[in-house]
Amino acid sequence: MRLFSWWLRRALSAVVTLFLVSILIFAASRLMPGGFAEVVLGPFASPEQKAEVSARYGLDQNILVQYWLWLTTALTGDFGISMISGEPVTTEFGLRLPVTAELTVAGFAAAICLGVPLGVYTAVRAGRGRTAAVGRLASGLGVSVPEFVLGSIVVFLFSRFALGLTVGGYVPLSEDPGQNLRSMVLPAAVLSVFVIAVTARTTRDAVLTVLVEPYITAAIARGESPWFIVTRHVLRNASIPVVTVLSTITAYLLGGAVIIEYLFNLPGVGSYIVQAVGRRDYAVVQAGVLLAAVVFIVLNTLTDAAAGALDPRFGTGSKARRSR
Amino acid sequence: MRIPLLYCAVAATLIVTGCSAAPTNTPATEQAPGYLAVTDESAPDGGTLELQMTVDNGAATGLDPQLADVATAWQLMSLVYETLVTVGPDFTIEPGLAESWDTPSPTRYVFHLRDDVTFSNGRAMTADDVTGSLNRLLESEGVWRTQIGPVEEVSTVDERTVEVTLSSPYEPFLAALANIPAAVLPMKEVADGSVDLARTMLGTGPFVVESHRQDVSWRFTAREDYWGAGKPAVDTVNIAITGQEQARMAALQNGNADLVMLGNVDAPQLLQGVRGTTVATQATTDFYYLMLNSNAPGGKFSDPRVRRAINIAMDRNAISASALGGLGKPTGATPAGLPGACDPAQLPSATAGLDQARQLLAEAGAENLTFELAVFSTEPAPAIAQVIQQNLARVGITVTIEQLDEGSWSGKVYGEVPATFDAALSWFAGYADAGMVGKWWNPEQAGFNAGFMKPNPELNSVIDAAISTADSAERTTALRELCTAVDEDAQMIPLVTRPALIGYRTDTLSPTLYATEGYGNVFRGVADFRLLTQ
Repeated sequence: MRLFSWWLRRALSAVVTLFLVSILIFAASRLMPGGFAEVVLGPFASPEQKAEVSARYGLDQNILVQYWLWLTTALTGDFGISMISGEPVTTEFGLRLPVTAELTVAGFAAAICLGVPLGVYTAVRAGRGRTAAVGRLASGLGVSVPEFVLGSIVVFLFSRFALGLTVGGYVPLSEDPGQNLRSMVLPAAVLSVFVIAVTARTTRDAVLTVLVEPYITAAIARGESPWFIVTRHVLRNASIPVVTVLSTITAYLLGGAVIIEYLFNLPGVGSYIVQAVGRRDYAVVQAGVLLAAVVFIVLNTLTDAAAGALDPRFGTGSKARRSR
Repeated sequence: MRIPLLYCAVAATLIVTGCSAAPTNTPATEQAPGYLAVTDESAPDGGTLELQMTVDNGAATGLDPQLADVATAWQLMSLVYETLVTVGPDFTIEPGLAESWDTPSPTRYVFHLRDDVTFSNGRAMTADDVTGSLNRLLESEGVWRTQIGPVEEVSTVDERTVEVTLSSPYEPFLAALANIPAAVLPMKEVADGSVDLARTMLGTGPFVVESHRQDVSWRFTAREDYWGAGKPAVDTVNIAITGQEQARMAALQNGNADLVMLGNVDAPQLLQGVRGTTVATQATTDFYYLMLNSNAPGGKFSDPRVRRAINIAMDRNAISASALGGLGKPTGATPAGLPGACDPAQLPSATAGLDQARQLLAEAGAENLTFELAVFSTEPAPAIAQVIQQNLARVGITVTIEQLDEGSWSGKVYGEVPATFDAALSWFAGYADAGMVGKWWNPEQAGFNAGFMKPNPELNSVIDAAISTADSAERTTALRELCTAVDEDAQMIPLVTRPALIGYRTDTLSPTLYATEGYGNVFRGVADFRLLTQ
């Protein structure tokens, strides 16, 4: 019952948040200077042409009426049509979502498969001279070098010299998996550098904190093997900050994908939304931001649930909240 | 040991990156008179041509060629649509779908159509298609309705002959007919509703659209039954829409693209030494200009003396050298490079000195003038704005540059009537006749300028003279007078031409490229392009 109550509260909170986001994004998109008709039709368009386009997309109606129409149709899963392509927004997103998803999943996988082991390794080996220094330097560089800088260098090097991997020339996974992999390795690698570094640093700090706990000293005193201590005692207790940061990282990956998509000319959702902002393609912008908000809310909820499962003090009940 | 290695790797990367930008000569030489490149006819037929361009045709008006008003759309549509006449490399008018024409009087044009032309659906083109297309254009809301001139009547004489009657002489008529908005459309299908031109492209041109993903890509297939001399050399043309300059350069370098459009004026230097690539610098008649809002709050530019002072202070050579890598040419209102265009060095503003500018400002009581200059963020506009800022500082004018995204810029400059901005930077397509763009200085014809321009009846009469005078010598005089009148009016100040940079693979592609373009159509010769490797 307590668990049900927790999920109910989170669901209500999500609905309210999404409602507020919908108002915010609708208002923000309409407050952008330069309307759709002016931007897309350009300066040569006559007032009659602009009026016709505005009427076609309902932009000549009262702003509240526009919002209400959009909200009620969005609730049915219809996010309207792209005013640029004339295609349903859901269709456009469906075509682009695999690209962004592929990038994000690759980055997330790299964070878990490389960042976590690297963090554990550098923590366990902390204070042992060169290894620790290299680890700190690598994670420091990974965190501090912006993607557009790293991406630009990678694009330059791999396009100027034949280094075996291709820049651009995206091919959908469904069309040619091998070629798709070749075209996605570099963007995914660039996107992953930051998240691997952040995950490694967070894991390292969390592990270092756990390593000085009395129960670890006791485990060592009991003669348990280092592998057993790390897997059974350290990782579980160090995992809460890591899980939290992984949630944040996923949000970051979605944002970072925009830059990577632009740099490597990948037709993903991120670059599409940015392009839509530039062209005042309101339906696409609104749907995109709302979709991002849904993803963040779901991620946060899942993170909280995971943290509760890992440590009852972060659980879902009222006692758990009091114990924090 | 590993740390020094890491440092070395980073340092090597930075050195390689930095060294690549060493300045070198810009390749802009002509391979043949009027051509930057001419296709090697001995190269084999077939293959897939990979092109990349910056933006898609994103107009809300869709794919209707008569409503297309930007060069990007003209480029794409030129693969499918054709016009009665076309423009040669030296801006002479050449036969297109009309094999010849007569001009019985300055207001009558009789076009004799080719008899072997078909649309891509197999139907033969008729005189009614031509008549219907032109009449449709005259009734449309497109900007080309203004450029096509004072057409009084279009009539079908017989199956192969069409006659156009003008209400008054209009010298740029044939040049206006040579651009995509005046293309011949399948009017029978339009009339019976089987084709929606806003969503489908169906023309007489060398290619048909196989697929299109908005803002991602186009795929065109060559027509086997194309009426021209043989079908296009390549089988397929893929066009990727690549917004990032860096990505386009990368595609060119690693061979993913055979030809790319580039925007960075340093591209020739950046790609110098990359084996198998070259950057051709195509001159265009497009040009940048400065808008001074005569309706600006506080009347900053309502006094012509202030506008003239600003015009005098413009150093067009410095703008070209600093912001365009020396690739732009100073120009007056008749675009530099077009036959009959005026010499910008002879204009009143060019022959006056900075002291005269300061004197004009003093007489107008505007010694310490300050204003905001709105520019869009696409290079080289911000760089041009900086040079203008420095130019005007020499006469005591303080300019604050306001850099905006294209949407915000458009809203600020064209969103309100009267306009509320101070000054703004933009560019015009220069077209293929020296008198065409002059029309935009008449806000009564160019309604989009009405928000910031006050009508000038004297200037309007000079504009009319420049487009109606036929005699060569008289026309040159009329065009010079147009330049002078625009120079003194100074509500829109022409600055420098806008070069087009075309990168292509010399090891895979043999293209045909004009040395100078009037309609920004780099794809003009795509049907002739040949791939050197299949």
